[in-house]
Amino acid sequence: MKTTPILEIRGLSKRFGGLVAVSDVNFSIAPGETLGLIGPNGAGKTTLVSLISGSITPTTGDILFEGASIRHLPAFQRARAGIGRTFQIMKPFPGLSVLDNIAVGALFGTSTTAKALQTAREEAREWLELMELQHHADQRADELGGPDRKRLELAKAMAMKPKLLLLDEVMAGLNHAEIDDVIEAIKKVRRTGISVLVIEHVIKVIQRLSDRLLVLHHGQQIIEGKPEEVLEDPRVIEAYLGRRRA
Amino acid sequence: MTLRTKFVLALAATLVLAALPWFAPPTLVQFGIATLLLATLAQGWNIIGGFTGYASFGNSVFFGLGSYGTAIAMVQWQLPFGVGLAFGVLLSVLFALVMGIPVLRLRGHYFAIATLALSQVMTAIVSNLEIAGRNIGLVLPLLNGDALFYELSLAVLVLATLTIFWISRSRFGFGLIAIRENEDAAASMGIDTTRYKVLAFALAGIFSALAGGIHAYWITFIDPVSAFDLSLNVKMIIMTVFGGPGSVLGPVIGAFVLSAISETLSTEVSSVASLFFGMVIVAAVIFMPRGLADLIRRFRKTGWRYFSENVRSHRL
Ligand SMILES: Nc1ncnc2c1ncn2[C@@H]1O[C@H](COP(=O)(O)OP(=O)(O)O)[C@@H](O)[C@H]1O
Ligand SMILES: [Mg+2]
Repeated sequence: MKTTPILEIRGLSKRFGGLVAVSDVNFSIAPGETLGLIGPNGAGKTTLVSLISGSITPTTGDILFEGASIRHLPAFQRARAGIGRTFQIMKPFPGLSVLDNIAVGALFGTSTTAKALQTAREEAREWLELMELQHHADQRADELGGPDRKRLELAKAMAMKPKLLLLDEVMAGLNHAEIDDVIEAIKKVRRTGISVLVIEHVIKVIQRLSDRLLVLHHGQQIIEGKPEEVLEDPRVIEAYLGRRRA
Repeated sequence: MTLRTKFVLALAATLVLAALPWFAPPTLVQFGIATLLLATLAQGWNIIGGFTGYASFGNSVFFGLGSYGTAIAMVQWQLPFGVGLAFGVLLSVLFALVMGIPVLRLRGHYFAIATLALSQVMTAIVSNLEIAGRNIGLVLPLLNGDALFYELSLAVLVLATLTIFWISRSRFGFGLIAIRENEDAAASMGIDTTRYKVLAFALAGIFSALAGGIHAYWITFIDPVSAFDLSLNVKMIIMTVFGGPGSVLGPVIGAFVLSAISETLSTEVSSVASLFFGMVIVAAVIFMPRGLADLIRRFRKTGWRYFSENVRSHRL
């Protein structure tokens, strides 16, 4: 029996003027699955995430979420349907406390009932602890240091209780110990059954998290498959790993 | 200070203000009416500018529509004041919905510039409307009763402030603040940004129109230029920013303090007065850009460092 994928991308392209940032991409993510997305800088990874979250509209192609097209839905409706994302260029609410940043996710996100602020803050406190930010609860978000900002970005998205989480380089700039913590946190939320699309530069990280890998290069998907197979493919080594070594 | 003590203090202040017409001289009552209406306008601006982060120059249009709606209903249709006020509010809300949807798509400076043109357009339109008395304006029936206008203005200000108190602790208000802090992030977290912004604009419109209607009936005469006066909008911004944008009581305190300073100075030497007033505002923006409300909250913790930190973190 074939289950409906949580996300299905069909012939998706995005053109910025003369530049084709995403070119005829096709893939799907099964419920509960984690797909790793890799590719060199400028490959179109962030653009792909923005197309799925609705921050930008595709030039051609379609996006299906739980079997229904969401191509014409605005970003906020996709968030309500269950798509949560982080931003590579982090977008905290700078003047709000760290706790309230996360509370926005609990208050809106996929939550359909108008819950009280109090309840949302209590929920936010749980994510705060999971992300080890509890000592910064009352600090303004713009007073946080780099690694803590990354954690906040992740906590905000998770507090939305999405069905599909899009993570755009949430671990860039973290040290090994911090990366381990964040990986554990992601694994914990994944156990609730959600699907994840994770973009990361560190191959070890992507290997530890992904069920499958997709490689983008100049906007085109060059290969898709099991992590160990993909990472040994000569095209990938040339396009991605080769360039990083250089 | 706990919320309870704040509430008791605010209630006591309101009662004292409400009793004022019984013991104050008539000139003070008149000053009071003008100040209460300005404070209401500042609170209106606070909703769209302070909470939502959209620096509107279109709020003087709301004021003008409130004035004209009331005047047209009373003068042309011989309707009672209450109905006129409601008609003014209706016009203002319609304007917020119709204009809000296109202009609230614009961000930052572009929004400010787009709204800047609105009051001039309205002046031109109203100047050509027969029903609005063309460029001469309208004369409203005379009602001698400053105490009544005073109490009415106070009631509207209390209503506006209670609404903002509700906003500040509601899901709706959290959505507005999220839009102010980062609109892209707000949308990607499930906030219907367009609807929230238009609602905030309409709410601002309601209170500004109420102030406009009361003002028109009080001074009994309106004309297109003074009803849609952009400098009134500038006053709303200055008072809100001085008091504390995005706070519950800041704009009220800002309006009271600045009105008192400006009144005192203008009775002395008026040319020096406006110069001094300008300098106070420049200094306030440099040293306390988050307003009096933030100063009071943080000064105890940081002391005089508060000012130097502000200068450092907000330099261009
Ligand atoms: N808003 C935009 N306007 C024009 N070009 C863009 C825009 N966003 C991204 N691009 C371009 O699209 C390409 C892919 O960018 P991006 O998706 O950010 O890549 P990645 O995340 O894989 O590093 C780059 O060449 C980038 O310069
Ligand atoms: Mg990127």
